[in-house]
Amino acid sequence: MSVVARIIEARAARRQKTLIAFNAATLRLGGKTIIENLDLEVRPGEFLCIVGASGCGKTTALRLAAGLYRPTSGAVTFDGEEITEPRREVAIVFQDYGKALLPWRTAAGNISLALEASRVPARERSARIEALLRKVGLPGHADKYPTEMSGGMQQRLQIARCLAQEPTTLLMDEPFGALDAMTRQGLQDEVLSLTQASQTTVVFVTHDLDEAIYLGDRVVGLLPHPGRIGIELDVDLPRPRDQLATREHPEFLRLRRQLFDFIKASEH
Amino acid sequence: MNRAAILWRVASILVAAGFIAAWQLIANLHLVSPVFLPGPDRAWAALVRGFSSGDLASKLFGTLEHMAYGWLAASIAGIALGALIGSSRMMRAYVAPSLEFLRPLPVSAIIPVAIAMLGLTQGMALFVIAFGAIWPIMLATIHGFAAVEPRLYEVARSLQMSRAAIIGKIALPSALPDILAGMRLSLTVALILSVVCEILAGLDGLGQWVLLSARAFRSADLFAGVILLGATGYLTSIAVSLVEQRLLAWQAAAR
Repeated sequence: MSVVARIIEARAARRQKTLIAFNAATLRLGGKTIIENLDLEVRPGEFLCIVGASGCGKTTALRLAAGLYRPTSGAVTFDGEEITEPRREVAIVFQDYGKALLPWRTAAGNISLALEASRVPARERSARIEALLRKVGLPGHADKYPTEMSGGMQQRLQIARCLAQEPTTLLMDEPFGALDAMTRQGLQDEVLSLTQASQTTVVFVTHDLDEAIYLGDRVVGLLPHPGRIGIELDVDLPRPRDQLATREHPEFLRLRRQLFDFIKASEH
Repeated sequence: MNRAAILWRVASILVAAGFIAAWQLIANLHLVSPVFLPGPDRAWAALVRGFSSGDLASKLFGTLEHMAYGWLAASIAGIALGALIGSSRMMRAYVAPSLEFLRPLPVSAIIPVAIAMLGLTQGMALFVIAFGAIWPIMLATIHGFAAVEPRLYEVARSLQMSRAAIIGKIALPSALPDILAGMRLSLTVALILSVVCEILAGLDGLGQWVLLSARAFRSADLFAGVILLGATGYLTSIAVSLVEQRLLAWQAAAR
């Protein structure tokens, strides 16, 4: 067997495995069932997008995976281990970057927070911070406070802070929901290149169906009240993705139609 | 400073000069007996005389000392207690009613209690000043800690920060604007109570100087003491504001 074939096979084997698993996970909050009997598997290295109408519990599912919530019944596991609290190899990017950044720390200081938490020695931090800022396209902005930066830049900063954790898994909660269309497309491509290169597993929650198909290896649509799985689509589009070519691809349009029909039906 | 700001500053100085001129005029015309009202010239002379003899400087130092110790004790205790109460919803629910009872209590009402228990001592003054000055700091700290953005606690949790790190790196800096505002307010309280304690307990300080000057009908000395007290309040408040601006530079960046 050739080396290439062996690598491909190894990769396929890895993809069969499960990194995060929801096993009949149910969450009730304040007498309301937010998520009911959710069965979902996230494979290592994949880019999984979760979509659904508002109230379908997609953000809640992400918070369960992050360990910020614990299921009322059922279980959520990471690498076979039950998730009881947040773990270092899993980073979460919140939608409201304005609230998730420390306004009293500069861009460098915000990234430093994650490095301090992982006990990176002080003398190594500045080099790491510089590298991370360059990675997310913010070189030269180290001394700026978040309030001096645009929304897109603040979200890049939050992503940099998450990358400072050196996560194997990135959970993203509608990260580009508050950004304008141009900024959003730029960030989509950057997240793809950042995570594809490092084989990072991504669970990406969004209400933008085009975004989900454009980014994902797989798209899961949830049904609301209570949240459960309604549709599961494999996205067989060539990588690297391209903002024009991918979005004009017949397969993209077919998936888009299928997903739109599903969301429309779920709202009734 | 731009042109408009300079003009405003000049106008405010002119107003102050106008007050002093009016004061001088009233004194010169003997509208009020010179026994009770010296002119600014005599008050200034008394101020210079007091400092050159060294008396006034030691009194000023006495008052500053009372104020500083009381204020620092109030700050440390106020921030510690405020952090403890403010960071836990349960503590807030338990302790808030007691605080609501104690807060409006006039501090002057506890002075006799303090004197009865501690005597006419420096310790009594420290207790009274700290007790009076603790409220603005503690209440501001409670509010600051209660108002920390919940999202930041989630960020801290996902970074697995320790409890000490969460307090030191998230809660305290987030509450700092409130804490500093409370500290600035309580500075005035500390000055007032320093003077009251010096008058009541005969402790070395400007309060005592003012009292003795008034009893001896040395109105110029009396006014010199009052002017010095006003200047103390003004300058300490400016000093704290400068520290505040320095520590909260990130807020200026937001504007």
